[in-house]
Amino acid sequence: MKHFLLITILLASFNINSQNTFADVTLKTLNGNEITTKSLSSNDKIAVISLWATWCVPCIKELDAISEFYDEWRDEIDFKLYAISTDDSRTIKRVKAMVNGKGWEYEILLDTNQELQRSLGASTIPLTLIVKNNKIIYRHTGYSSGVEYELYDELKKLIK
Amino acid sequence: MKILLNTIILIIYVNSFSQINETIYGSLESNSQFLQDDSNLGFNSPEDSFRSNNYFQLNYRSGNITAGIQYESYLPSALLGYSPNLNNNNKIASYYFNVKKGFSDITVGYFYEQFGNGLIFRAWENRQLGINNAIKGIKFKYKPNSNVKLTGIYGQQRNGFELSGSTIQAINADINLNEILNLSSIDLSIGSSLVSRYQDNSVSNDIPSSVKSISGRINLIAGNFTFDIEAVTKDSDILANEGELISNKLYDGTAIQIDLGYSIKGLGINSSLRRLENFNFYSNRLAEGNIYNQQSLSYTPALTKQQDYLLTNIYVYNSQPRLVINSLEKRSGEVGSQTDLYYSFKKETLFGKYKTKIAANFSYWAAIESNFYEDESYDVEFIGHGNRYFRDFNIEIKNRWNNKFNTAITIVDVIIDKGVALGGPLGVQGDINAKIGVIEGTYRYENGKSSRTVIQHLWTKEDKRNWAAFVHEYNFSSSFNLFIADGWNYGGEDKTHYYNFGGSYSKNSTRLSLNYGRQRGGLICVGGVCRFVPESNGFNLNLNYSF
Repeated sequence: MKHFLLITILLASFNINSQNTFADVTLKTLNGNEITTKSLSSNDKIAVISLWATWCVPCIKELDAISEFYDEWRDEIDFKLYAISTDDSRTIKRVKAMVNGKGWEYEILLDTNQELQRSLGASTIPLTLIVKNNKIIYRHTGYSSGVEYELYDELKKLIK
Repeated sequence: MKILLNTIILIIYVNSFSQINETIYGSLESNSQFLQDDSNLGFNSPEDSFRSNNYFQLNYRSGNITAGIQYESYLPSALLGYSPNLNNNNKIASYYFNVKKGFSDITVGYFYEQFGNGLIFRAWENRQLGINNAIKGIKFKYKPNSNVKLTGIYGQQRNGFELSGSTIQAINADINLNEILNLSSIDLSIGSSLVSRYQDNSVSNDIPSSVKSISGRINLIAGNFTFDIEAVTKDSDILANEGELISNKLYDGTAIQIDLGYSIKGLGINSSLRRLENFNFYSNRLAEGNIYNQQSLSYTPALTKQQDYLLTNIYVYNSQPRLVINSLEKRSGEVGSQTDLYYSFKKETLFGKYKTKIAANFSYWAAIESNFYEDESYDVEFIGHGNRYFRDFNIEIKNRWNNKFNTAITIVDVIIDKGVALGGPLGVQGDINAKIGVIEGTYRYENGKSSRTVIQHLWTKEDKRNWAAFVHEYNFSSSFNLFIADGWNYGGEDKTHYYNFGGSYSKNSTRLSLNYGRQRGGLICVGGVCRFVPESNGFNLNLNYSF
């Protein structure tokens, strides 16, 4: 407990900007290849990160909603959406079937033992982020109808 | 522990004067309940009517080094239904130190890990289920090139705030064969794991001190098809159930899972077949079958559709991998399969115009057919005609009528063994047949407001008979919502209303939710693992913050 306080005090004395830094973990693609989260938004690339799962109803609603506009928005803004599945082995085999069945054109990545989810401190999903050069620019938890427009407005701010 | 923390502090201190790029991140989660007596529900609040689970995580990264701690408190008691060994405790429950250099990745302290699909080994955390079976020790990952990945683990498993009494050693290899075999049209990888548990056997020499399990797996992607197979065998071990040694006779265990998938744009199909015979592996041999899911090494979730609505969540399946031999029941495990289908209608068609998307799932799970003999030995079929435990057919139809209005219709037809759903011996108490219908509508107003309404009904002649349920949610903005819900068991003797109302507020990385109402007793299942929660009444407050 003493140490805990000590660390907290120590931290308070730092000027480290933490809130904005995106996690650095290795994820798998559907083909089993590995990719680091660092590479998703390096060199000024804009990445929308969506943490989802096949069993998460609001997550699927959000991804369905965005998929209606995905092409249109991408004509205007140069970004990619990485739909990162937190499904564990119970449901992971559904991911590919669902993504194709839904006709989603997102980049799909797998966070099977929730390493990314843990390092983002995301106890609930969906979690949606806009990341550029590993800085988190926008963060939203949960989905209600219409949130996708807020995401679009945030993305537009980046190209102005 | 002290040394490690001091080292971490020292590193942070030293680095803070240097120019190395460093980051601090973490999160706080606080889940509290305030319980009250409810005579209609027959619920008497326990002595500690205020209960709270809190988790604070702090991580530090500098270059290739990451370190962190997790502080947990369950004061004065953990939430209802959590393992009692957490009650009235607060500590730095775990810490770690990780360094990545070249081909190597080394972690000292507490860590999580999964081999293959987790059948043989999974160390993970799920706060809703009260699972944290991290291993404390050392983990070494070695990746000499992009095709080969090796992992070695040595340590003890966490059990509440203590450690389980055994030593776990495990190794895993994953090899991608594409480049090695120069494959171009298919994608092929193989893997193998070994997990071994050493536990003192001073009570009896008949008990093996060392028990290991070995697995092999193949993952293949060929065009639109995927094929995965994983098989595990576990050494012979004594039979224990819920803390007691049942038999000194030794029984081995096996697990096999096969997945087959096909998908093209607009259509996806996936089938899983799994057979589990006496396949439970715990870090403590006497932890077998414990209801709090503690000290587990293997991960054998129910492979069924995970439902999300109030009434579709009543009759859920829980996997039955155990070997049980007693006077009430004799069974050796489960076998079954599930198939998912996803389909989106093409834009040109009438259904496509309204963006119709279909998801259907069928699952069937049963006992492995077995014959038990007087000397407590048994013979099994590979599949056979064992007692049915669960059968589910469900279909979900989603439509987007215009850019303001969406609907989702769900129909579920389920048969579940009473023993699985309500407890007691399996396969002898009869079934519960239930049909459930759910209609959900979401409407988006101007300026970011929206509302969601769900109407549900469950029909059954068994158990507590019919239910009706209603949920209404209003989103004032993307960050603030209120909801009201009621599940009414109008067919039951007590005609109980399980009402709930509350709301949530989220802004950036903070989320606060508060609700008041009745909790239906039963299984809370996440990722196919279930935790039993008793009926209760009261307030719940959840706070999440990450930085």
